[in-house]
This record gives sequence, C-alpha cells and structure tokens, in this order.
Amino acid sequence: MSSPEHIHHPSPAQYWKIAVVLAVLTAVEVAIYYIHRDFDLGHFNTVLLLLLAALKFVIVIGWYMHLRFEKSTLSRFFTGGFILASALYTIVLTALGVIAIRGG
Amino acid sequence: MTATAERPTTTIFRRPSSTKGLWSWITTVDHKRIGIMYGYAAFTFFIIGGLEALLLRIQLSQANGEFLTAGAYNALFTMHGTTMIFLFVMPASSALMNYLLPLLIGARDVAFPRLNALSWWIFFFGAIFLYSTFIFGTSMAPVGVDGVGGVDGNLAPGGGPGSFNFLADSPDGGWFGYQPNAGPLYSPGTAMDYWALGLQIVGLASLVSSVNFLVTVLNLRAKGMRLLRMPVFAWMTTITSFLLLFSLPIIAVALFMVTFDRQFGSLFFAANAGGDPILWQHLFWLFGHPEVYILILPAMGIVSEILPTFSRKPLFGYSAVVFAGAAIAFLGFGVWAHHMFASGITPVAQAAFGLATMTIAIPTGIKIFNWLGTMWMGRIRLHTPMLFAIGFVAMFTIGGLSGVTHAVVPSDWQQTDTYYIVAHFHYVIFGGAVFGLFGGLYYWFPKLTGRLMNERLGKAHFWLMLLGFNLTFGPMHWLGLQGMVRRTWKYAPETGLEPWNLAVTVGAFIIAFSIFIFMINWFTSRRRGEESGLDPWDARTVEWMAPNPTPEYNFAVPPVVTSLDHFWHLKYEEDTEGRAVRVDHADEMLANIEHDQLNPVSPIHLPNPSYFPFFFALGLPIMFYGVIYHRTPWGKALILVGLVISLAAVIGWAMEPLEEPHGDDGGLAEHDQLELAEAAVSPEGSDPVLPPAGGETESSDD
Amino acid sequence: MTELTHEASLEHAHPEHEGTGVDDRKLGMWLFLSSEFLFFGALISNYLLYSNRAGFPGVYPAEIYDIPFTSVSSFVLLMSSLTMVLAHNAQSRQDVNGTRTWLFATAALGAIFLGGQVFEFTEFIVNFDMKLSTNPAASAFYVLTGFHGTHVAIGVIMLLSLWGISRRRGGLSDKQGLNLELVGLYWHFVDIIWIVIFTVVYLLSVPPA
Repeated sequence: MSSPEHIHHPSPAQYWKIAVVLAVLTAVEVAIYYIHRDFDLGHFNTVLLLLLAALKFVIVIGWYMHLRFEKSTLSRFFTGGFILASALYTIVLTALGVIAIRGG
Repeated sequence: MTATAERPTTTIFRRPSSTKGLWSWITTVDHKRIGIMYGYAAFTFFIIGGLEALLLRIQLSQANGEFLTAGAYNALFTMHGTTMIFLFVMPASSALMNYLLPLLIGARDVAFPRLNALSWWIFFFGAIFLYSTFIFGTSMAPVGVDGVGGVDGNLAPGGGPGSFNFLADSPDGGWFGYQPNAGPLYSPGTAMDYWALGLQIVGLASLVSSVNFLVTVLNLRAKGMRLLRMPVFAWMTTITSFLLLFSLPIIAVALFMVTFDRQFGSLFFAANAGGDPILWQHLFWLFGHPEVYILILPAMGIVSEILPTFSRKPLFGYSAVVFAGAAIAFLGFGVWAHHMFASGITPVAQAAFGLATMTIAIPTGIKIFNWLGTMWMGRIRLHTPMLFAIGFVAMFTIGGLSGVTHAVVPSDWQQTDTYYIVAHFHYVIFGGAVFGLFGGLYYWFPKLTGRLMNERLGKAHFWLMLLGFNLTFGPMHWLGLQGMVRRTWKYAPETGLEPWNLAVTVGAFIIAFSIFIFMINWFTSRRRGEESGLDPWDARTVEWMAPNPTPEYNFAVPPVVTSLDHFWHLKYEEDTEGRAVRVDHADEMLANIEHDQLNPVSPIHLPNPSYFPFFFALGLPIMFYGVIYHRTPWGKALILVGLVISLAAVIGWAMEPLEEPHGDDGGLAEHDQLELAEAAVSPEGSDPVLPPAGGETESSDD
Repeated sequence: MTELTHEASLEHAHPEHEGTGVDDRKLGMWLFLSSEFLFFGALISNYLLYSNRAGFPGVYPAEIYDIPFTSVSSFVLLMSSLTMVLAHNAQSRQDVNGTRTWLFATAALGAIFLGGQVFEFTEFIVNFDMKLSTNPAASAFYVLTGFHGTHVAIGVIMLLSLWGISRRRGGLSDKQGLNLELVGLYWHFVDIIWIVIFTVVYLLSVPPA
C-alpha cells in the first residue's frame, strides 16, 4: 500500500536542486524588499512578494512533503484547510477594515 | 467467551491488566467504556447546569426578585451556558459517537484507542478545572475611576438582598466571554481565567477526538461499507468532526489571547490601549457558529437513524440528507457575523451575512422534508425513541423558523439581547439537540445493557418534557418581543412581564421533573428492564448485528456490507408488488448471527489498557493552575509539576510497546506534545530493520 | 525478518477494511496539519490587524525589524527542510548513517533558528524597549512568532528523540521510519508557516505612516 509512493519520490540530487531554487527565491524576495525601499514599487512589491512566497510554499508542500505523490484524499483535506483559513481570515480582515486600508 | 486481550510479553512498564474496578476504568482504551464515561459525566453536568437554570428561573419568577444577588445571577447564567454547551451537549454527543461510531461502521474500535482515552481524560480534567472556579476562583468588581472597588462579586450597584452570593466568585462574563468585559480591566480576579483555560483544555479534547473519528471513518469501515453506505449518524459524526477540526484552532487562539491579556499583559482586546474588542467577536463566532452545528448535527444523525427504523421505511433521500448535512456545515462557516449585527459591522457585511444565513434554511429544510417523507406512508411505531425523534423534528423546525427571522437584519436589531433570542436557541439546542440525544439514549440503550428501557416511563418522560419545554421556552418569544432583555437579574413589576415569567419558571420545573423520571427509568431498566435480544427494534443498520450488550470486541465476525441498510436487507426482500416481506428464515438467521458474534472462533486481539492517557491529561490542569497563579513561586512550581507529569506520561506512552498484537496505535501526533510520543516511539520486542552498525551502537541502554 | 517488518509497516493500512489506503497515523497527521492553518491564520490576521494601526504608544515591530538577520534565519529554517527530506530519503534507502546525520543536521538548524529568535526577542526588548505589553502590535508579534517558535522547539525535541533512538538501536525500524516521515511532515509544515510569516510579517509589514 505504501510502497509505490517511493518509486516516484525525487532523488537526493533533485532535493538539492529544489533547495537551490528555494534559496534563490528567498534571495529574490529580500532583493525586492530592498529595491522597494529605495525605488517605490507600489503594489508590485506586495504582489511579487506574495507570489514568491506562494511559490516557495507550494514547492515545499508538493515536493518536500510529497503531497504531489500522495493520494488525492490528503491534498483535498490539506488544501481544504488552507482555502478555508484564507477565505475566513480574508473576510475577517475585510470586515475589520484592514484589507481595504492596505489596498488603498 | 474465548476472546482475550493478549498481554505483551516484554515490556518495560507493567501494563495495567485489571478488567474490573476503578483502575480498569482509568486505564481502559475501549471506545464503549470511554463512551459510557463521557455519558455519565455529561449527564452529571446536565443536572448541574439544570440546577443553575432553576436558580435563575426562581429569581425571575417574580418582578424585582430577591432570590439571587446580581453577581450570583451573572455567574449562574455564565456557567449555565458554558456548562450546557461545553460540558453537556458536546460530551453527550461525544458519548454516543464514541460508543456507536465503530459499531455503526462495523469496526472493533476507533483508529487510535489510546488517543481516544486521552480525549476523554482531557475533557474530564478540563471540566473539573473549569468547575473548580467555584472553590478557587475570585470575581471582583473593576477598580473604578476613583480607585474604589475590588470588593465582592456584585457588579451591579448594591446587589441588593439575595442569597447564593458565594456563587458570585465564578466566571460572570457570559459563555461568549465578550471583551473587554471579560478582560483584566473589567473582570479582575481569577474566575474568567478558569473559564478561558478550562475551555482551552476541553477544546483540546474535542480536537483530539475529531482527528480520531475522522481517521476511523476514513480507514476502518467494514468491507463493503462504501462512504455512501454509512449510516447517517456515522456521516454526521464525520461532518461534526470536520467542523471541530477547523473551528477549534480558532477559539484556541482567541482563548490564548485572552489568557495572555489577563496574565501576561498583552493588549489584544484592551480597548483603552487600542485593542479591538470586535476582533474577539469575530474569532469567537468564527468558532461559535460552527459550534452550533457541532451541537445539532449529531442529533440530526441520531434522528435519521430512528425515523426510518420506526417508520419501517428507508430514509427518504439518504444522499440528500447526507449532502444537506455537509452543506449546513460548509455554510455554517460563512455566517458567523450574524451574531454581530448589533456590533456595528458595515451594511455590506450585514447584507452579505444576512443572506448567507438565510441560505442555511435550504439544506435544513431539505432535511426536515426528508424526515417527513420518511414517515409519510410509513407503518409508524410510536415507541419512545420515535416520540423523541418526532419531537426533535417539530421543535427544531420552530427554532429554525425563528432563526430565519434573525437573519433579517432590522428584525435582528429588535431581537438582539432579548428573550426572543433565548427562546430561539433553546428551541434549537434543547428542542433539537437534547431531544435527539434522549431519543438516541432510548434507542441504543440495549446496546449498552442488553435491556430495553421502560416504555411507560419513557413516554411519561417524553410528554412531560415536551410540555415543560414548550411552557419554558415558548413564552420567552413573547417576553422577548415585549422587550425583556437577557442577562438582567431583575425586571420592574410595571413591565407586565411577570405572568409569563412565572409560567416559564413552572415549565422549567416540569422539565426537571421529567428528567427525574428519566433517571429512575435509566437506573431501574439497567438492572430490571426487559431483555432486548439481538434486534429489539427491527433495525436497519449493522450495529444491531453485534450482540446486546455489546461484547468487548464488538464483532466476532466483522460484517461484510452489501448495501445501505445492510441489516434490513438481510431480513427483508421485496415481493412482486414491491412491498417489504420478511424472509422465511429471518429469525433463524438472527439466532445464527447472535451465536456467531458471541462465540469467536479464534482469540481476538484488543488494544491493551494504558495508564498514560490518564496521566498525560492530569498534567494539563496542573499546568494551567500554575499559569493562573504564575506570579507566585508555587504557581511556577505547579507549571513545572504539570509539565513533568505530562512529559513523563508522554515518554511512558512512547515506551509502551506498540507491537501489541493488532490494534493499538502509536499515538497519533495530535497535540504537539504527543508528537514527541510519535518521535520517541520505540517498539520493544521487534528487531530493528537494520543490522547494528558497528561502532555506532552505544551500550547506553538503561 | 523482512516479512515481519513488512507486516508491521502495513499494520496501519488495514487491508481488511474499506479505507483510503493511507496509513492511519499519516492521515491523522495531515488532518491535524490542515487544522493548523486555522490556528496560524488567526495569529497572522491578528498581527495584520494591529501592525500598522496608527496611534499606539511605543515602538512598532515593523520599525525595528532586522531584515538581513531574519533573512539569514529564514534561510536556515528553509534549509532545514532540505536536511529533513534528506533524512527521510536516507531512511527509505535504509542508510543508517545518512539518516542519523541528516536528522541531527535538521535539529541543529532548527536550534540555530530558535537561537536567532531568542536573540531577536532579547534585542527588541532590551534595546528597543518593545515588550509584550507595549502595544497591541507588539503583543501580536510576540504571540505569533512565539507560537511558531514553540512549534519549532517541539519539532527539535522530536528530531533529537528520533536521532537518539537511531543511535541507541543502530537504526530505525520501518515503523519508526513512519514516525520520521510524520515528524518530517510536521517540520515542513512549520517551515511553510514561516515562509508566510517571513513575507507577510517581516517583508511586507510597514509601520503606520
């Protein structure tokens, strides 16, 4: 039951490559932070940083946590929890005026 | 009975082995015994919460009542709500879910038996912790601008004459603990700390069991029991578990924030320092509204089992009932702000949440019509469980309809904080959940005892409770519409509210009397009730294929399920005109089933009892007492003692052999500290996969 | 021997039941982690609510962040996910030394991260006088990062326990290999939460104008 999953798992070399990607993404994030400080990037700053974070987030879940290689039940629950949390707290922050303030 | 729980041969710690007496209950990991303990604890708190309600009602039975002080009144309505929700309805549902879930899906136990025991003990100690506020807690008036105050529990001026003021030293901020009223500034003293930390512990118990139930349902169903062949009660248990899983973390954060505010000087809800009290309301109701469905969905599941059985028809629209339950749960996450229409949220939010709330009426309506459709043209037998199920449908519908009136925002503004709201949620929670739970108790009593409850007393209980219930909560509708406000311990005679209030109080005592009848029935029927045999109700689902009372191993032969209502289809077939006809050999078959289930052919391996869930749970309240008194040296010592007890239990848990023959779990990494158990798990008696690597092996074994 | 351990590894997959085919404990872990989103979501929202609300006394967290320092400690935590997955990989290849080395490396990186957090908190409290009770923004910062740190600390303890068992018994059995996988899931989860915190709480947070 659990053995087939090992077949698809990435190899250590691939794990290292993924780590390099993650490190580069982090470096880009920090770079954007400094660029934004000196040359105001406006909303691009927020959008870019969130996208980069999302990318790292997905890479760790998909490859390091092996969610890509697991049964779909697991990813359904996990994404379910994530989407629920995002939706609920977005509504709360909107209701409390936080998100509108940041957007403007 | 040849079934035995095999004992491990090599252990570090001697495993508990008693099967009778106190220790057997403390160390049990049997889902049925755990369910029974949940049940008795819940019922005890039902009595306590009921007595609190009676005291409140005595106070309100006449205008300008002088029975309670204002402080005692505040404490009693706070503890009544907290008790009934967290210490009665939730654990009572938990009792039935624990006892029945494995039976309903044809399993021998839940996925993680020791975690199950852990849930129960955490709940138990959490409840004791919460109630110890009556002994240790203090409640003081806020220090006023002139620096006076800090006297006794009388927030209201003077407090007036009245008794029971000793009760005032307990949580008095309402079951919802609104901030900043329940914060350090306006509720100094320790009582609200007991409330916040007590609920934290009790919540942890539910979180642990939600994961446990979900894994059980997902992985342990009997062969052939596909998801859409599960009994509806198993479905509603699943949906409830999801609600718990996703809503409890929110209240955990909110309660931690309160505790940090009160104990460590953070300012989350300190309105005077820029904290936002509305944040509390959002977080509380983000949890609090799903909580409403956590209370009602199990009862809906119970009723969906009882109605088909006693109507002798399949549940009308099985999959619609299941999906409606899921839809209620899903929508239930998106309507929390309807508790806050009067809190100054924006008009857009009011409109959105009002509409969302109304949509919940759709799946709920689907369920109600399905239940009616089940009874329609059925050959109905009005046994006590059926009466409670019908009572549930009727009373819950009334509560549901008054609920829709709150969804209309301007209407809600008129109703907020009046007795109309009190009437509504009692129709839903008492008329709904409690009627359903009682129905379940009567229905499944034989599984517990092998006997039936007395029908005559059962019917007396039902009719008296129905009468008392409506006399209590019906008039609250008009009292509320006449403007009687909640949580106020006195009203003036000129308001003209007195007659109905007196009626309400009389109704409350009738309910109390009906519960007394139930208790007599329960305790006499346990010993002297009519023997039930295997299938007293001509039931439909596989839990009735296990003997009554349920043997320790549940099923000697796990059922292999071929259809929805599997058990029914074994007994009945369709004739040419599509009518259900009992098959010729049905009685013989039932006798065979009972014989096979009572006589296992080979030893059945059951999970072994364990001390560690009990001791792990014991550490938590000790730690939390320490948090409340952390400013004193002995408070710090208590934190340490609690930590050591829990940690020792975790280590013991981890060292306890896993390689028991079948069944026991490694302790699912649920609570953070439990994950330590996961990590440190070291099965004795099993060879490591790998040969010892030369010099690496250290002889540091103890 | 092989047969025996094989059986043990399947014990939680219940071939005799209808089910997901996913090991009980693994399924439970994923369910638990999915609920943790709600836990950290509340704490992060809480921070977002207060972090740039004007008019609080004292220092705002966003005014005193040491971005280079936090970038380094974020990098450390991120790389601990690499070592974690390498430990898991080594275990699945039955490479005892590799498992042990990577387990220890993961725990060490986690400990370095925690050390960084202790340093950061001390810095904020001592040099900038930003305490838990300074203002709601500070409260939210400390409680959010504190709870995350607590999760990391629990992870470090679990990793060290596994490492200790592996040393004492000359390797981990299949069953403990599953434990390693579960600890790994938990560890990666704590890491992805930090990915969010690093971006949202540190890089994007601005003090009120």
